[in-house]
Amino acid sequence: MRELLDMWRYTKMVVLVGLAAGLYAAVLIPFKPITIIPGFTEIRPAAVLPVVFSLLFGPAAAWGSAFGNIIGDFFGTLGLGSIFGAIGNFLYGYIPYRLWRRLSAGQPVIRSGRGLLVYLLAVIPACIACGVFIGWGVDLLGLVPFAALANIILVNNLLVSLILGPILLSVLVPRVKRWGLAYGDIMEMEPVSSVRLGGVGHLLLWLGVIGGLAVGNALSFSLLPGLLKGAVGVGVAPFIALIIIGAFLV
Amino acid sequence: MFLYLERDTPLHTLNPVTKIIGLVLLLILPLSTTHPLGLLPSLAFVLFLLYLAKAFRNLRRMWWFVLLLGAVSIVLWSFFRQGQTILFRLGFLSVSRESVLYGLGMGIRLNVMLISGLVFLSCTKVEEFTLGLRKLGLPFSMSFALSLAFRLVPLFFTTASTVLQAQRARGLDLKRGSVIQRVKKYVPLLIPIFVYAVRNTDQLAMALESRGFGARRERTYYIEYQMKKIDLAVLLFLGAADVISFWLL
Amino acid sequence: MVSIPGGSEPVKVTGLSFTYRGSDGKALDGINFSQRPGEFVAIMGPTGAGKSTFCRCLNGIIPNLVKGDLQGEIRILGHNLRGKRVQEIAWAVGLVFQDFESQLFSTNVELEVAFGPENFCLPRGEIAERVATSLAMVGLTGLGQRDPSTLSGGEKQRLAIASVLAMQPRVLVMDEPTTDLDPVGKREVFGIIKGLRNRIDCIVVEHETEELRSADRIVIINEGRILAEGRPSEIFANLKFLEDNGIRPLQIGVLMNRLGVDEEVLTWQQAEEVLKDEGRIFDEGRFEILKGKDLPVSGTGEVIIDVGDLYHSYDGASWALNGLSLKVKKGEFVAVVGANGCGKTTLVKHFNGLLTPTRGKVEVLGRDTRRWRISELGRKIGYVFQNPDQQIFADTLWDEVSFGPKNFGFSDTEIATRVKETLKLVGLEGLEDADPFSLPRGERQKLAIASVLSFGPEVLILDEPTTGLDYCSQRSVLELLKRLNEAGHTIIIVTHSMWVVAGYARRCVVMKEGRIISDGTTREVFSDEELLASASIEVPEIVKLGNRFGGATLSVNELCFCLGS
Repeated sequence: MRELLDMWRYTKMVVLVGLAAGLYAAVLIPFKPITIIPGFTEIRPAAVLPVVFSLLFGPAAAWGSAFGNIIGDFFGTLGLGSIFGAIGNFLYGYIPYRLWRRLSAGQPVIRSGRGLLVYLLAVIPACIACGVFIGWGVDLLGLVPFAALANIILVNNLLVSLILGPILLSVLVPRVKRWGLAYGDIMEMEPVSSVRLGGVGHLLLWLGVIGGLAVGNALSFSLLPGLLKGAVGVGVAPFIALIIIGAFLV
Repeated sequence: MFLYLERDTPLHTLNPVTKIIGLVLLLILPLSTTHPLGLLPSLAFVLFLLYLAKAFRNLRRMWWFVLLLGAVSIVLWSFFRQGQTILFRLGFLSVSRESVLYGLGMGIRLNVMLISGLVFLSCTKVEEFTLGLRKLGLPFSMSFALSLAFRLVPLFFTTASTVLQAQRARGLDLKRGSVIQRVKKYVPLLIPIFVYAVRNTDQLAMALESRGFGARRERTYYIEYQMKKIDLAVLLFLGAADVISFWLL
Repeated sequence: MVSIPGGSEPVKVTGLSFTYRGSDGKALDGINFSQRPGEFVAIMGPTGAGKSTFCRCLNGIIPNLVKGDLQGEIRILGHNLRGKRVQEIAWAVGLVFQDFESQLFSTNVELEVAFGPENFCLPRGEIAERVATSLAMVGLTGLGQRDPSTLSGGEKQRLAIASVLAMQPRVLVMDEPTTDLDPVGKREVFGIIKGLRNRIDCIVVEHETEELRSADRIVIINEGRILAEGRPSEIFANLKFLEDNGIRPLQIGVLMNRLGVDEEVLTWQQAEEVLKDEGRIFDEGRFEILKGKDLPVSGTGEVIIDVGDLYHSYDGASWALNGLSLKVKKGEFVAVVGANGCGKTTLVKHFNGLLTPTRGKVEVLGRDTRRWRISELGRKIGYVFQNPDQQIFADTLWDEVSFGPKNFGFSDTEIATRVKETLKLVGLEGLEDADPFSLPRGERQKLAIASVLSFGPEVLILDEPTTGLDYCSQRSVLELLKRLNEAGHTIIIVTHSMWVVAGYARRCVVMKEGRIISDGTTREVFSDEELLASASIEVPEIVKLGNRFGGATLSVNELCFCLGS
């Protein structure tokens, strides 16, 4: 977690944040207005970028995805929702490389069944965390119901990062490595945190994403009659806390 | 390509810090109630601000989007919100008078926020935004990265459309095939855009350091904005509006 | 840099060698160099010679940011650079890069210039002064509030220069500042450099031989060593030596050599004087023979592209194309030229359906482009974009070249044959499994051409096929186009480079403000210099000289032939 601040001392990492954010925003913009409208099945390929950035550029991806999302909002959708959008995307760019480092010592190239498994375990929680966090935030503000936005984001994130991610990484990893731009080659990384602490974080993260998604949907669809009617904001909040604590311990 | 409009209005001349805090205060205003009637004054107020900023042009550009969002909000909340007076049922979902009313309110709230954002974007330059964030405590390297990203967006946007044309000229058809096939078709688009962007990292880092980036701990800023009386007045006014509307409603 | 010892050389380099980390060969190998105060030095040499490496040593990027083994000593104004950070050296040595997009970081022109001084904690008043003077020095006064992304290429590079000048360095090093620019941008930047050389010590790396005639000293670098240095007239006189080192010789120099003139001649005006003094006569009969060989535009070939009264508007408010008509016949080699924003690219994008007419019509093989299926049309009319990197995506050359045929639904066996044949045609055979990104830029350009040729289009359109390439790669891409044309392909290029037009295109279409103002054989078009000038086009010096004697000669050979030797 320290690296999120340490990285700002490296000029190249600063540049990578700018590049990642600019790229994310540029690919995001053409599809911007149609995300919130359900039933619109347009795919948003940009959602694969935070994952790819994360596994290549590490901490720069977390900041880059958050900044990129804010810039995307500069094309008309700036509001309180932007804050949740930024944090949700921060998590989306932050979680994959943390989990990858915990689960594998190798390069993020998916060539084997085991590689694919590690990839899925690193990326799926990130996809859910992003959807749950943003869905929770906009529901809290009363902008869009949790179930509408969280699930759309989640499905789109999963779809593009599971299909596109491995292909893109197999082409990009060797190149980025050759150009000396992989985060491990630019900056000193702290060693992976101790097995026990990280294990706890890992567990909390999964609890948070699964619980948040389940409870959020249940409350949003009013499947729990009598209990916390429509109160997604309060009901999901504990899971949001789990996600954030878990993500930083991992 | 951004929504900023070069105009000579009192809103444009406000201190960037005032604009940012003011935007937040403005966005809090519609949170004070969920009743459609209670939200109408906020709507009127932000429309008035948009008029002050001489920025109706931006609203006209996204008119359809604003209305559509309002409509979508009504429909969504009607289904997802519970209420006593059931109007009709659709499977396990029901629509009630209360939920429609709530949806209407949320539609207006969404639009108030959207228009507040437009007011801000119409009268704030990108460099004012990043400078304002810096004044509010964002470290220089972070605000620099943000500002660099803003500068690169138009460049990458052009690149993206060129890449799309180049691959279309080689027979790429994004519209054909199953969902999975269509998703895969983004590979020939995303890779050149990514490579084009990232290849210059070294160049940018070299150019940055050649211009003294990170030379010292401190640095001066060429542009400084004074906090004027009007800035304080604006912030006080918006703060008071928030307090009063939460108290009243 | 605290004090500046009087009389020191701005730059003094002794025994400089550098090896990049992970590389075997030396990028620089024992360079000794010194610049006298007030001297304007130009460095030339082929790609990979070590020019950029040398520039990057001068402001400490090497070895600070780029790692490797550095030997020898660099002194700037007497101060040894060893152990100094880039940021400390930035005060004394300013470095301007080739790629102007990668050296601009701000969303506003003034802030861009202020960026350097801000980093050094200068007081605000002083920064304001420096912003104003630097912008004035590059002629950008009044554009202070513009967003850099709205500037032209030339303006962007001038802004990059201003941003470096604002730090008031003693030495200004420019690494290929004009390579990525169009002729107008090049002229602007060279104009600025001309003005600067009296105020600051300049070192410029360049390819444009014509523009370096006024340098105080030319230094030729190849394979990490200085092979020659001296006055331009000395260096440029050795034609064979220049060609051997990948430098395009002055065409006037080549002509004088061929005609056996022994005098020191650098410009076409001097050449005209000398040749007229010698009493050389332009042989009209021979010129008629040359003209007779030109392919007549009103020939009999099958019309492939027929444009009638075409209008196009992007925004509904102004016309990018303003009512033009044009026919392209099978087997032609057409160059479309004109200033930036004259509508060249807009026009050719209509040919393969990337754009459709707002008014008027475009017919391909007798059918309106709006009635073609876009995929079928794309197959008939191949389009190669300017920058190969904006389309290369695959892991291997084979995958890259087979992408088009796969999209167009060719059978597997046919794809295999086509990929093989195409790679052979462009000279990349045997590299099927190589990584496209490991190829040099010129080869990547050929790969981009191959990836379009592979689905067998009847017409090949190329947008700026030579921009950003060094002289050798330019020649090799152009020779490829020539071979393709001779094999029956119709070629249409959009270009800024007039020597390319003179040397390769048989027909030239000149555009201005969305209209065609001249269309004919390249010879006919190039004989009206005044008309071309109105479209901001300057013909090559050999053509100018020919025109002064009696007719547009398109090459040194042709002029020699007409001057009777």
